[in-house]
Amino acid sequence: MTELKGARARRGLTHLVLLAIGFAYVYPFLWAVGSSLKTKIDFLDGGLGLLPSRPVWENYAQAWREASFGTYFVNTLVISVTTVAFTLLFTAMAGYALARHTFPGKKIILGVILATYLLPHGYTIVPIYDLINSLGLLNTLTSVILAQVGGGLVFGTFMFMAYFSTLPRELEEAARVDGAGFNTLFFRVMLPVSKPMMATLGLFTFISSWNNFFLPLVFTLGRPELRTVGVGLYAFTNQTTTDWTLLCAGAVISLAPIVVVFVVAQRYIVEAIAGAVKA
Amino acid sequence: MSEPRIPSVSRRGFLSGAAGLGGLALLAACGGSGGSSAGGKGTITHWDKWTTQQSWVKKEMERFQKATGIQVNRTLQASGNLEDLLNLAARGDNLPDVFMVARDRLDEHIKQGHLLPLNKYATADWQKTFPAHSFVNGVNAADGKIYSAPFTGFGPELQLYVNNKVFKDAGLVDSGGQVLLPKTWDEVTRAAEQITRKGNGSVHGIGFGNSAFPIINWWIKPFLAGSGNPVSVPPSVPDGLDLRTGKFTRYTDRTYTDFLTLFLEWKNKGYIMPNSLSVDDEIARQQFARGKFGMTVGGVWNQPGWTELGFTDFSTVSMVTPDGQQKSSYYHGAGSVMLALSADSKRPDEAWEWFKWWHGKDAATRFVQDLKGDISIHPEANDPGKIDLAPFKQYVEAAKLVIPGPQPSLRNPATIHVVPDQAKPTFDDFCTGVYTGQIKDVPGGLRTLAEDLEGKFEDALKKAKDKGHKVSRDDYVFADWDLTKPYKWDIPQYLGA
Amino acid sequence: MSTTRLARTGGPRPAAAAGRGRSLWRTVRASGWSYAYLAPFVVLTAAFVVYPIFASLGYTFYDWDGIGEPSDFVGLANFKQVATDGYFWRALGNSALYTLVLVPVQLVLALVLALVLNNPRLRGSTFYRALYFLPAITSIAIVGIVLKLMLANFGDAVSKPFLKLGLTDEPLQFLGSPHLSMWTVIAIGIWNTLGYNMIYFLAGLQTIPKDQYEAAQIDGAGRFAQFVHVTIPGLRNVGLVIVFLAIVGSLQVFDLVMVLTGGGPFYSSDVITTYIYREAFGQVGTGVAVEPHIGLASAASFLFGLLLLVVTSGQMLAIRRLRARKEGK
Repeated sequence: MTELKGARARRGLTHLVLLAIGFAYVYPFLWAVGSSLKTKIDFLDGGLGLLPSRPVWENYAQAWREASFGTYFVNTLVISVTTVAFTLLFTAMAGYALARHTFPGKKIILGVILATYLLPHGYTIVPIYDLINSLGLLNTLTSVILAQVGGGLVFGTFMFMAYFSTLPRELEEAARVDGAGFNTLFFRVMLPVSKPMMATLGLFTFISSWNNFFLPLVFTLGRPELRTVGVGLYAFTNQTTTDWTLLCAGAVISLAPIVVVFVVAQRYIVEAIAGAVKA
Repeated sequence: MSEPRIPSVSRRGFLSGAAGLGGLALLAACGGSGGSSAGGKGTITHWDKWTTQQSWVKKEMERFQKATGIQVNRTLQASGNLEDLLNLAARGDNLPDVFMVARDRLDEHIKQGHLLPLNKYATADWQKTFPAHSFVNGVNAADGKIYSAPFTGFGPELQLYVNNKVFKDAGLVDSGGQVLLPKTWDEVTRAAEQITRKGNGSVHGIGFGNSAFPIINWWIKPFLAGSGNPVSVPPSVPDGLDLRTGKFTRYTDRTYTDFLTLFLEWKNKGYIMPNSLSVDDEIARQQFARGKFGMTVGGVWNQPGWTELGFTDFSTVSMVTPDGQQKSSYYHGAGSVMLALSADSKRPDEAWEWFKWWHGKDAATRFVQDLKGDISIHPEANDPGKIDLAPFKQYVEAAKLVIPGPQPSLRNPATIHVVPDQAKPTFDDFCTGVYTGQIKDVPGGLRTLAEDLEGKFEDALKKAKDKGHKVSRDDYVFADWDLTKPYKWDIPQYLGA
Repeated sequence: MSTTRLARTGGPRPAAAAGRGRSLWRTVRASGWSYAYLAPFVVLTAAFVVYPIFASLGYTFYDWDGIGEPSDFVGLANFKQVATDGYFWRALGNSALYTLVLVPVQLVLALVLALVLNNPRLRGSTFYRALYFLPAITSIAIVGIVLKLMLANFGDAVSKPFLKLGLTDEPLQFLGSPHLSMWTVIAIGIWNTLGYNMIYFLAGLQTIPKDQYEAAQIDGAGRFAQFVHVTIPGLRNVGLVIVFLAIVGSLQVFDLVMVLTGGGPFYSSDVITTYIYREAFGQVGTGVAVEPHIGLASAASFLFGLLLLVVTSGQMLAIRRLRARKEGK
């Protein structure tokens, strides 16, 4: 009895601590949400206060209009989803080959991965821009996807490689005895157990693709209607003024999809526990 | 930190100085007007970076379309990076028909063949709708070919702003209840002291926001412009150089040490809002509007942000002299740039129509009087009598303080190829260092700064010479310059006329 | 139990001796699928990462403003200028400080958080995970604006009691004081990206088979002993990756410093990336247009990359030697 009580108390305490720290932790975010509903005056006088004196829902409508979110949302969704899909596929494949097989030239590839990860990327936009231009892809969503996928593969491959190399060898061996080939091993055995990594990497890729504004901006210079949410957010700032309340509203709008993706993806991470061990 | 590398190209790769977004330095741009791009007949594309002025831009686009039937498809590139985007667009043959250019990039654009020479359109008659010396080789023209035109006029770039209510609350009024605007260093000190004392810790005499970018150096302009040290000079004059002698004595002149010492005194006596180093300019401006301090320094761009939120009870002081005597002034150069046309434009005629409209007198009048954006190059547009906002009127009237100054590039256009590197630390950073106490020896530091600048100038001069440009240090000496009189330029009033 | 042993030893070493004795060509042909699987990665990375890096390496030998093509060849002058610049080394020092403080603190916090939230009996762990991950998904630009505003207000609020007691004669300036600015940036850095490492650790914890814990329990191991003998070894692989990423990421921190302090006041929080940025484009936001120095900035960036490469290679060598020693025992 007393033991049960103690456990319950301890659990309550855990919740209390987690909630208190968590509240402080996301306070800036709550403050931004509160600010998105404030009038400008309210915002400036409100100090650290969370609640608007009278919520101004109109901020959201205005932010939506001014940042052209209507068009931009669709563009961003197309770009982000495609980027995630290709990044996951290519990095899982490369990570699998590197982690579970030997072949001549492997060391070179590993060295290049390390070097490119460390070398700062410097002023690389001009060569990349020229490359996209010579492929005739300027002013298309494809160019944005291509450049984003291309730029993110090193990181993802590195992660998948690390993940696959922690999996037990017998996982493959059993299947191999059954006559499974390279493809079957990858798609039927390895991919299914890599859900935690896919969810993690997919989430991170989605976040950075969703928030990216530079590549979408420069590759669609000639067709502004192809811009993304990340670019649209800059409608509220310029060199001398910022429209704080609208910016906060715009930020909340642009964050919402990521939060949804997070909640979905992180559930997979949890569910995959069983998968990773049982399989 | 440990996120995927997709944005790394964007983050460090290609960045340029945007202060927007609280000093966010990333390349930023913003949602444009949408609609279809390079489109049907009578549609031209246009890029600019004006956000606060965009109500004027949009109205002019409508008027223009009604008058000519030409539709302007505008994209707002809201950041300091329009120049970099233009460069990329040029690589991909994506330049818009009309775009804003930066003065210091114009010669490079001309060299790369990006710009359309306007001489076919820019006739002598058209040029004469502008004041004399508006089109100048080395500024908006090269080898007699015109590429751009001036738009804004010449106002005192930075002013001391006074919050009238704070002054009144501190009793800084004359017998008639009018706010006593400080005109000398002493008067500023006294006003700051009185406001701080009466403010009891919640209101300070002086405030600013140094966090997003160095701003203490802004105070130099209104406080030293009349000191006899030619501080506010035309663009393209090397930093720290005194054009009367061609020597780097502007910073070592005692006016700088005196002012920085005074500034430190204000800080040490508690006249300055304590978190002035923690907040950025934008926040500080709002705190000024809410009466947290009585005086700040800023540009004319501060005004729309204040009036929009209903704060109009402020005054502008364009010059604060050390002792009440004006020994020098603000100086401007000849000509300036605004729009340019793409050399690849498929509709150069329509693009020119828009260019002409934008730079014309009617649009300028609406820019000054309705938008209160700035002073126009067209004197007719700047009638103070037609301006209904007192502080903006004060600003427009102060334009008489800005007089022509000598400009090396007018005497020898080849000097535009002399581009010295920045000092390290720059004077702007130096001011912050003095204020935080990281730099103790002010006169010594200023001496080092002057030496540094001199060395960088010599290097740049040598580099230009090595490339075959005929330049020399003598191009930078104007021994005949009288600081109190408009300098007479020895160039034709109009180009090729 | 056999699963466990296999999991541990079967780690990163793939079928090794397979190719011995055959000719290279036959090995290559036998590895056809491996190459096919690597092809998209290799092609795209070569095009969008490797080629641009080499192309921009070329800029380091030029004095170039970024317009048109570089033409002013200056040899190694850019490298020399960077290497002899005191501000470069000062910025490097700050980057090192940022990394040395942030990485251990953040990793310990992230691990603790992951362990707490990994408890399947803890209700609402999904909610908590989202909560603690929130700062990581918010764009840095927004984070910067919000935190700056809050700190300015917060500074006053926190300082009030101290002021009244006379312990300090000025409100605390978290971002405005040259003594505090770097520490404030570090603290915010820890806060901002903690969520990422929490997720990595959570993913890592899931690769540890449950039966290892059960076996340890049967052996009578307590919670702490389980942590030391099962959790820590189980996290070793993913842990190394996290540490590596955290170090590289911290050394390259940019946006956060830029939006919070821009490296100031007076270089007190200047890190290597803000230094590079300023070299390339001049002081942010002064409105003074500066001739960009793409060549110089690229040189600084490569010099930094080389230093990083040396440090990391050293790190990896050390790890390898450590492992070898352990296995030799």
